[in-house]
Amino acid sequence: MRLLRFVARRLVQLLPVLLGVIVLTFILVRILPGDPIQTILGPNYTEEDAAAARARYGLDQPLWKQFLDYLGGLATGDLGTSIQSGGSVSAELAERIGPTLELVILALAVALLLATVLGIWSARRAYRLGDHTIRVVALAGNSLPDFWLGLVLILVGYSLLGWFPAPSGRVDPDVGLTPITGAELVDALLTGNGPAIGSALSHLALPVATLAIVITAPLLRSVRASALEVLNSESYTAAAAHGLKERLLLRGYLVRATLVRLPQLAALVFGFSIGSTVLVEYVYSWQGFGQWALRGLLYRDYPVIQASVVVIATCYLLVFLIADVLQAMLDPKVRIDG
Amino acid sequence: MAEVTLTPRSGEVSGASAPVVIGGAERSRRFATTLIIVGGTILTVMVLAALLAPVIAPWGEREVDPTAALAPPSADHWLGTDVNGMDIFSRLLYAARLDLGIAIGAIALAVVIGSAVGLVAGYYGGWVDDVLMRVVDIFQSFPAFIMALVVASLMGGGVLDLVVVIAVVNAPAYARLVRAEARSVREQPYVAAAVTSGVSHLSVMWRHVLPNCLTPVRVIAPLNCGWAMLTLAGLSYLGLGVPVPTAEWGAMINLGSGDVVAGHWWTSVPPGLFLLASVLGFSLLGEGLQERAEARRR
Repeated sequence: MRLLRFVARRLVQLLPVLLGVIVLTFILVRILPGDPIQTILGPNYTEEDAAAARARYGLDQPLWKQFLDYLGGLATGDLGTSIQSGGSVSAELAERIGPTLELVILALAVALLLATVLGIWSARRAYRLGDHTIRVVALAGNSLPDFWLGLVLILVGYSLLGWFPAPSGRVDPDVGLTPITGAELVDALLTGNGPAIGSALSHLALPVATLAIVITAPLLRSVRASALEVLNSESYTAAAAHGLKERLLLRGYLVRATLVRLPQLAALVFGFSIGSTVLVEYVYSWQGFGQWALRGLLYRDYPVIQASVVVIATCYLLVFLIADVLQAMLDPKVRIDG
Repeated sequence: MAEVTLTPRSGEVSGASAPVVIGGAERSRRFATTLIIVGGTILTVMVLAALLAPVIAPWGEREVDPTAALAPPSADHWLGTDVNGMDIFSRLLYAARLDLGIAIGAIALAVVIGSAVGLVAGYYGGWVDDVLMRVVDIFQSFPAFIMALVVASLMGGGVLDLVVVIAVVNAPAYARLVRAEARSVREQPYVAAAVTSGVSHLSVMWRHVLPNCLTPVRVIAPLNCGWAMLTLAGLSYLGLGVPVPTAEWGAMINLGSGDVVAGHWWTSVPPGLFLLASVLGFSLLGEGLQERAEARRR
C-alpha cells in the first residue's frame, strides 16, 4: 500500500518534468533552422507545392494551435504522421523498438553479470596487482569510443577472421523468420525456427559485445567501490572476526550488500546505453529505434523527433523510478515515506 | 552467481579485510600518484603533438597526394592515406588541436555556466532554487549523448557551436554539484559574518562561497574532458560534428568506416587509438585526483 502511494506520488512528480520536455522539444525543433518540408519536396518545387505540403502536416497553423493538436494527440496515444515516410509515427515506433530493446537488454544483462563478478573480485584484492589491473582495464574500457570499438570488432570478427556475418542488418532473409515482436531472437525462439536462432545470435554477437564492453566499465567501477565500502564496514569486520565461513561472508554480506546498489547503477547505465545504442546501431546498420530517431533528426521530421525524445525521456525517468522502488524493496535501510 | 569465479584463499578466512585496510592507504596513494603521472604524460604528449603539428607532420592537414589514394602505410605515408589521398598521420596530429581544444573549451564553459547557476540556486535557496533546479531537471531527463545529438543537429556544426553544445550538456551536472556545496557553505559562520558587516550578496558569493565550492568540480572536470572528447567524436562520426575535410578524429573514423569491411584498417583504427589514448589520459588523471582526494579524507 505504502509502496503504491510512493509510486503514485513519484509518477505525479514526473509529470511537470515531462511536460517541460515536451514543450522544450516542441519549441526547439521549430525555432532552430531547418525545414522538414524542403526535405520532401525535391529541388524543383513551387510555392504552391510547399504551401500545400505545409497544410497537409498542419504546419501552416499558428504555433499554439499546433501545440494543442500535438498535446491532444499525445493524450490519446497518437504521435502524428511522419513527414518523411507519411506513415504513422506510433506504428513505426512499435516496429523499431523491438530490435533496440533486444540489443540493450542483452548487453545490459551481460554487463551486469561481468561487472558484479569482476567488481567483487577486484574489491577483495583491493590495492594489489589483480585489482590494479582490473581498474586500469576498466578505465580503458571507460575511455573507449563505442562506435570505434564496433568498427574494430567488425574488422577483426568479419574482415580478418570471417567468424561473424557482415554488419548489414539482422537475420538472414532466407531463414524464413515470421516477425512477431520485432526482436528477432525472441521471434525465432517463439516460432522454434532453428536456423533463424543461429542467424539471429551470430548477428547479435558483435553489437551486443560492443555495447556490453562499453557499459561494463562504469558498472564495474561502481560495484568495486560499493563492495569495498562493505569490506571496510564495521558489520563486515565484526562478522569476519566472529569467524564466519568465507562462503557465508561472501554470499550473505558482500554479494548481498553490493546487489542492493545494482538497480540504481543499472538505471544510470541504461540511460547511458540509450545514447550508445544510436552509435552502435549506426555502425551495424541495426535498423532499430536509435537509427530511426537519428534519421528523424537529420531530416527535421518534427513528429519523429518529438516522439523519440518524449519516449526516451519517459523511459529514462521511469527506469529511475523502477530502480528506486527495487532498491526500497531490497534494502531494509531505505524507508518509503508515503 | 559470483562464487563461480571466486576461489576461497586458504589462511585468510577471517582476516580478509583487515590487512587490506591498513596497507591500503599507502598503496592507494602510490597508485593515485602513478595514475596522475601516466595520465599527465599522455596528455602532455598529445598537447605537444597538437601544438607542434605543423613542424612534425610531413603533409598538410588537407594536402592531397594524387598518386596515393587509400594507400597502405609506407615510407611516404607513415600511416597510409584515406580515400582522398590525404596523409593519415599528419591529419591525426592536426586533429588533436581541434579535439583537445573543443573538449577543454566546452568543459571550461560548462563549469562557468554550471557554477553560476548552482551558486545562485544554492546561495539564495527558496523559489530561486526551485525554479533553477526544475530547469536542470528538464535538461537531465535525457541521456547526455541524446541531448547532445538533438542540440547539435539543430544548431549546425561550427567549432563554436560544438563547444556550446557540449557545454550545455555538461553544465547541469556542475550546477548540481556546486549547488550542494553552496548550500552547506552558506551555513558557515563566516558567510553570516560577511553579510552582517555589509558585504553585498554578489561579493559574498564570489569571494567567500564560490572558492569553497570548487573542490568537487576540480576532481570531476578532467574526467568530463575525456567524456566531452567522446561526445565530440561521436557527433562527428554521425556527421553532426565538424564539416568534412576538417581533420577531427571522429570525422576521420567516419570517413574510414567503409574501408573496414574490406579489411583496410589504417583509415579508421589510428584515429580511434589517438582518441582512446587522450580520453584515457584524462580518465587516469581524473581517477588519480579522485583517489588522492579519498585517501586524504580517510
